[in-house]
Amino acid sequence: MSYKIPMGPYHPALEEPYKLDLICEGETVIDAQLHIGFNFRGIEHLAETRNYIQVIALMERVCGICSNIHTLTLCNAMEGLTGLTPPPRAQYIRVIMAELERLHSHVLWAGIAAKLMGFKTMFMTCFELREKVMDVLQAISGNRVNYSMNRIGGVNRDITDPQSILRLVEALELEMGRTVIPIFTTSRTARSRCAGIGVLTTEKAVALGVVGPVARASGLPQDLRRAAPYAAYTEMDFDVPVQPAGDVTARLLVRALEIMESCKILRQALSKLPPGEIATEGEKFVFTTGTATARVEAPRGEVMYSVSWKEGSRNPARVHVRTPTFAVMPAIRWMVKGARLADTPLIQASIDPCYSCTDR
Amino acid sequence: MNMDLLIGLKTALARLLIFPGLLFAVPAAWFFLWVERKAVARMQGRIGPPFMQPFFDFIKLLGKSTPPRSGIGGLLMRAWPLIAVSAAAGAVGLLPVLPASGGFEGDLILLLALLEVPSMCIIAAGFSSGSIFGEIGSAREAVLSVSYNIVFLLAIISIAASQHTFSLSALAQLPSSPLRWLGIVAILVCLPAKLHLNPFSLPNAEQEIYSGPMTEYAGPELAMWELSHGLEWVAATGLVATLIAPAFTLWWVAALVFVALSFGLVLLLSVVAAATARLQIDTTVRFYWQCTLIFAVLAVASALFMRFRA
Repeated sequence: MSYKIPMGPYHPALEEPYKLDLICEGETVIDAQLHIGFNFRGIEHLAETRNYIQVIALMERVCGICSNIHTLTLCNAMEGLTGLTPPPRAQYIRVIMAELERLHSHVLWAGIAAKLMGFKTMFMTCFELREKVMDVLQAISGNRVNYSMNRIGGVNRDITDPQSILRLVEALELEMGRTVIPIFTTSRTARSRCAGIGVLTTEKAVALGVVGPVARASGLPQDLRRAAPYAAYTEMDFDVPVQPAGDVTARLLVRALEIMESCKILRQALSKLPPGEIATEGEKFVFTTGTATARVEAPRGEVMYSVSWKEGSRNPARVHVRTPTFAVMPAIRWMVKGARLADTPLIQASIDPCYSCTDR
Repeated sequence: MNMDLLIGLKTALARLLIFPGLLFAVPAAWFFLWVERKAVARMQGRIGPPFMQPFFDFIKLLGKSTPPRSGIGGLLMRAWPLIAVSAAAGAVGLLPVLPASGGFEGDLILLLALLEVPSMCIIAAGFSSGSIFGEIGSAREAVLSVSYNIVFLLAIISIAASQHTFSLSALAQLPSSPLRWLGIVAILVCLPAKLHLNPFSLPNAEQEIYSGPMTEYAGPELAMWELSHGLEWVAATGLVATLIAPAFTLWWVAALVFVALSFGLVLLLSVVAAATARLQIDTTVRFYWQCTLIFAVLAVASALFMRFRA
């Protein structure tokens, strides 16, 4: 006899309110239904009532983890409408912020995955590291969550002493390579929890159109930093880690390798930081009528902004956001089919869901 | 004759109520709960709770009200934690810590039965709570208890068989044999599952099923569950401590060694809990059945061997 177990909207395994109805037979999940919409704040509508400066501060609050990515994408789109090009130093600082944010997001995710495996010691280790990443972000921007670094045509704050930031990043890299990555890849209890569960085959991944680390863990080599470079990514040398297996271990490995790649990019960007302005100071700009889109590789995958403007207006006519979780979310149903109940929290978390971004 | 009986009864009561019984066991339970929480916290880079926290938790829970429950179901739900506490306290009282043998003999079979009662109560409580999370937790607890108990019983039986006695106090007096150490290792393997610790904490896996069988419990009833859990700690670590501890003639040395060994065991179990992730039910069951096979072969073989040699 099958029975339905509600997971959520408030559940210890979920960071945010959403709901997963699991239809089970014994300990086996035979189907799942996902319900979202518990976080709706009407941000897209609010954006239409804000001017081009206020809208950046508003969109920064779409997500608490990848706040910088949202303003970066919005600024890219608005720069497309105004024809402004940020100076090279600003492009580099944008890369640095984006990669630090990726580190922050991946370490946070690793901590939550550890918690869902019941591995609380690992959770604490990850969150200690996350604090250190936040310290670096604070050293650059003065803020720990909403960094308010991006503006139209550049960034708000300069990195005055790249060498000290570089030292912090190197210390971080050392610690990640010493603790988080070996424990996740060698701990037997952790491996036994992740291997072979929540499999998403390459065909299914293509059919569902998943993005980001989930796609890369199913053998799809897609990364916007490589496919459609923005900011200063054309000048960076990095690899796009791809794993063919499609299970939770593969997603874990992809993110672990991405942490190391992010450190590599950060080292390059900080040591090659070009001199000059950090924003197009004093340059006048006007918005042209039309729609501009921008795509950016967020820690969770592709974020797309579509911004429409009417010439002469201070406010955008429409700001549309498509978050990576929206693209990846339907895959959960296919991942949990046939899984054990005990694995479902970990499987749903393995896509690194962010429903506050999705609901907005 | 009458005098002897009176002294025997007094000793028995003193054991049950004072040491190692209730008066010792309840503070010891809170102390062990604190040691476990503090040790795990320190290993995770946290500060951990203050010394009196388990006691404060207990008092706070006692002061809360429980939702009204009617009928037989409600009665049962109130009864299970009380049965669990009395059984666990009885198990602690049976431990032959003090060398002078009186009243209770430290009967191994009774001790095992009493140690099993809290686990049974948890299973029953989960099912009588009517919550889906409680039922899943209970089902997991039942599967878990079936798998680890075979190793546990096998270990105890092989120890008892090799030394021809089912009396724990007699065992504590006898010199230890290799088979006894094998048995102790087997019991140690079972303890994390018995005490719901990582890697075998699945009946109360909060990320999956909230607190499993305890989901519907609150207030004084939950306080009783916490207490019975603490008493289980004392009884289970105490059992191993009695088996390890050499025989002492001075009563206070024996008591000190008992407490120190139990403390060491709590630390050991905390380290294991902090260093592992939670395993799934089928991995756990497979693990214990593999253990069963190994211990069965080793224990039965050596028990037979010792019988023939003797």
